[in-house]
Amino acid sequence: MQNSINIKIGGPAGQGVKSIGLILDKMFMRSGYKVFGYTEYPSLIRGGHNTYQAYAGSESAFAQKRRLDMLIALDQGTIAAHQDELDDKTLVIFNQDTLKVAKTRGVLLPFPINDLIKKADGLPVMANIIALGAVCFLSGLEPEILANLVKETFGAKGNEMVKKNTACVKAGYNFAREKLAQYAIKLDPPAKKEKQILVTGNEALALGAVSAGLKFYSAYPMTPATSILHSLVHWAKKYSLVVKQTEDEISAINMALGASYAGARAMTATSGGGFALMTEAVGMAGIMELPLVIVESMRSGPSTGMPTWHSQADLRQVLHASQGDFPRAVLAPGDMQECFDLAREAFYLAEKYQLPVIILSDKYLSESMQSVPAPAASWQNKRYGFANADFNKAAGKNNEQPFKRYALSSGGISQRSVPGQSGGAYLSNSYEHDEFGYATEEAEMAVAMNDKRSAKFIELAKEVGQSRPRIFGGQSADVSFISWGSNKCPVLAALDLLKEKNISANFMHVNYIWPFPKEAVSQFIKNSKRIINVECNASGQFAGLVRQETGLKIKENLLKYDGRPFYAEDILTYVQH
Amino acid sequence: MYNTKIKPTFCPGCGNYGIKQALQSALEQLDLKPHQAVITYDVGCNSNMADFIYAYGFHGLHGRSVPSAAGIKLANHKLPVIAIIGDGAFYSEGGTHFLNLMRANHDVTVIVHNNHRFSLTAGQYTSTTEEETITVTSPAGVIEEPVNPIAVSLVNHATFVARGFAGDVKHLTDLIISGVKHKGFSLIDVLQPCVIWNKEQSYEWYKKNIYYLKKADSKRQRALKDALNEKKLAVGVFYQENKPAYHEEFPALIKKPLVYQDIRKIDIREVMKEFG
Repeated sequence: MQNSINIKIGGPAGQGVKSIGLILDKMFMRSGYKVFGYTEYPSLIRGGHNTYQAYAGSESAFAQKRRLDMLIALDQGTIAAHQDELDDKTLVIFNQDTLKVAKTRGVLLPFPINDLIKKADGLPVMANIIALGAVCFLSGLEPEILANLVKETFGAKGNEMVKKNTACVKAGYNFAREKLAQYAIKLDPPAKKEKQILVTGNEALALGAVSAGLKFYSAYPMTPATSILHSLVHWAKKYSLVVKQTEDEISAINMALGASYAGARAMTATSGGGFALMTEAVGMAGIMELPLVIVESMRSGPSTGMPTWHSQADLRQVLHASQGDFPRAVLAPGDMQECFDLAREAFYLAEKYQLPVIILSDKYLSESMQSVPAPAASWQNKRYGFANADFNKAAGKNNEQPFKRYALSSGGISQRSVPGQSGGAYLSNSYEHDEFGYATEEAEMAVAMNDKRSAKFIELAKEVGQSRPRIFGGQSADVSFISWGSNKCPVLAALDLLKEKNISANFMHVNYIWPFPKEAVSQFIKNSKRIINVECNASGQFAGLVRQETGLKIKENLLKYDGRPFYAEDILTYVQH
Repeated sequence: MYNTKIKPTFCPGCGNYGIKQALQSALEQLDLKPHQAVITYDVGCNSNMADFIYAYGFHGLHGRSVPSAAGIKLANHKLPVIAIIGDGAFYSEGGTHFLNLMRANHDVTVIVHNNHRFSLTAGQYTSTTEEETITVTSPAGVIEEPVNPIAVSLVNHATFVARGFAGDVKHLTDLIISGVKHKGFSLIDVLQPCVIWNKEQSYEWYKKNIYYLKKADSKRQRALKDALNEKKLAVGVFYQENKPAYHEEFPALIKKPLVYQDIRKIDIREVMKEFG
């Protein structure tokens, strides 16, 4: 028996690698397993080498693993490209009618796919579906679950197509049952059955944002942030959202800030290059004290870099973007659940502290799939910081004089009015300003306003500081990892591998990056016997931040910057050697 | 009613005085109280007006304030939104927003203080400065041809295209009133003398070189004739067309403005079905 299964599908773009992968993931999820799906693809529309990896676990699915239980090759290149991921037991499934496989690791399972398709009255394009049926049997899952998924997926194409696809599923399933039964993998049953949903990080973020009362979203398409725009535009009618694709990222953020000024909860999203264009307006949100949620989903850089590949090299960019000093918050979700939770948190912090909150995601989170417990159906939201949160009513009694929008007070948070409210007229100003918002160059007022904004950061740090970074694997261990963002996925998977090897290890996951959780990080590092910083960039940006904030230098840095995320095995190998 | 306590700092004789006066008198004639309109400002001498006008204001980034104006309108479409901006900001730094917001027909009235100079940074040429003009950054004369904002707007789907003159406040006031009343994007390019950095185009020069259009045309091609007149500058409304404004095409905005929609309780059950 084994408690997880790891399957990869490989083929050229346009052959439905991703859609088949999605069905595979859902098949496991609906069977009660925890699921993680990871995809790799080049920046083009047709051709190239695409893969989808489905990992399912009976107890957990933190991340895909390197070693494959099954490889489904839709083209010749797939088998050669993934030799390193195969061992003697890996089942290699391929079409014996179209592929010639000379030498490979693993157990070769040639399928007479053309023949099976013919008998099932299917179409040549359904080779994938035959493979799906076989995987279903070889993983010990109920074929009805797969049949239902096929019906849902192809239902829109008409009954005839559903019939053909269903027949192909059966053909694959039956062929495997009759001829390949000895290769079937004995997978533990799911440990706990609960209602789950399967989401990408981007979908989880979009869902979290909608639940938090997002009303205005403006963005310009940029991989890997684009699918947030796709989700939101798809839901715009249902949730009464304004979703606007703008002429560029500069327009996107300036428009979102206009909407925020007018009182709507607003968000924009982009990748590193688009964020660079937004930079000037990030500072405007700072000085105008406008709430804004900005998602920066990192990809390989610098410059255009490798557009469809993973990286975590924009940490310093988001921490320092824009001229001048002003408070901001940076949150880095570690998995799909955190994408949802931190999106909600971002809207709360942005509105309460009246500042830009950056959610730092990456390609790995944005486009991978993970099953999470189904979130609650209904969500409550409060409004913060308005002189009168009923926008139909007056913000103040006096409509003859400007409203003191930037009133100086301890704690730095001052009340807002929104346009249309009587007694609330003021100037929201990108220039340094007085308490009404009018421009000032007076030394004393400049200091007072800087101090006002800084005070908000101190309050924010107090509140955020309470949510200490989480430690996994116990308070003390022989090996300690510290990391941030999406590395949570492979590091948690690595903790399991280390446990199997009897190596005691723990892990501090930092997801509230700024304000920085100084004390917790400092204490964790001081308590550790061997501390290893894990991140996906070349210069150890997080390690630098740790040193800046705590004075502690981490000697061991496990860095990766080849466009691929860490695999649990990489981390295990590093620890052992 | 629309004055703050701050005294305008425009140079004596600056065209901005006339534009400010026209704007305030338009607000008055439109019967808008200070809390019933939003004015966005860019960066430049013109936009220093932000401190002198009492109303809801948004003093944004150089060249980028009109996207903010569009965002404000989409968030609360019951409010008239007026954008104050200069030629350097709208036709140069923010050129892409000029092209794209116009064709989207966002319901924003954009008043461009066109003095053909970057005046606040001390007199450099802009994208509307005439060819061969000598400025601090073009000692041998400007090499480029100037942008013709009226002609560009006419061929790029703007639904209200007008030009005013800062020296004719009454006429400009009427243009602003028409622009605000117009449902959709209105461009009001204003010929603005800069008495410090642009000696060539003085009040007297403009008075000699402008002529008044009788009424708005309904055909873009006919209107282009006046827009392309190289000898004299036409002022007035070149073209006007009735067409749904951008915000009128959004299902989310049919019932009420976005900011008045309740977010206290959100149910995500429906979308979660996609992920089961």
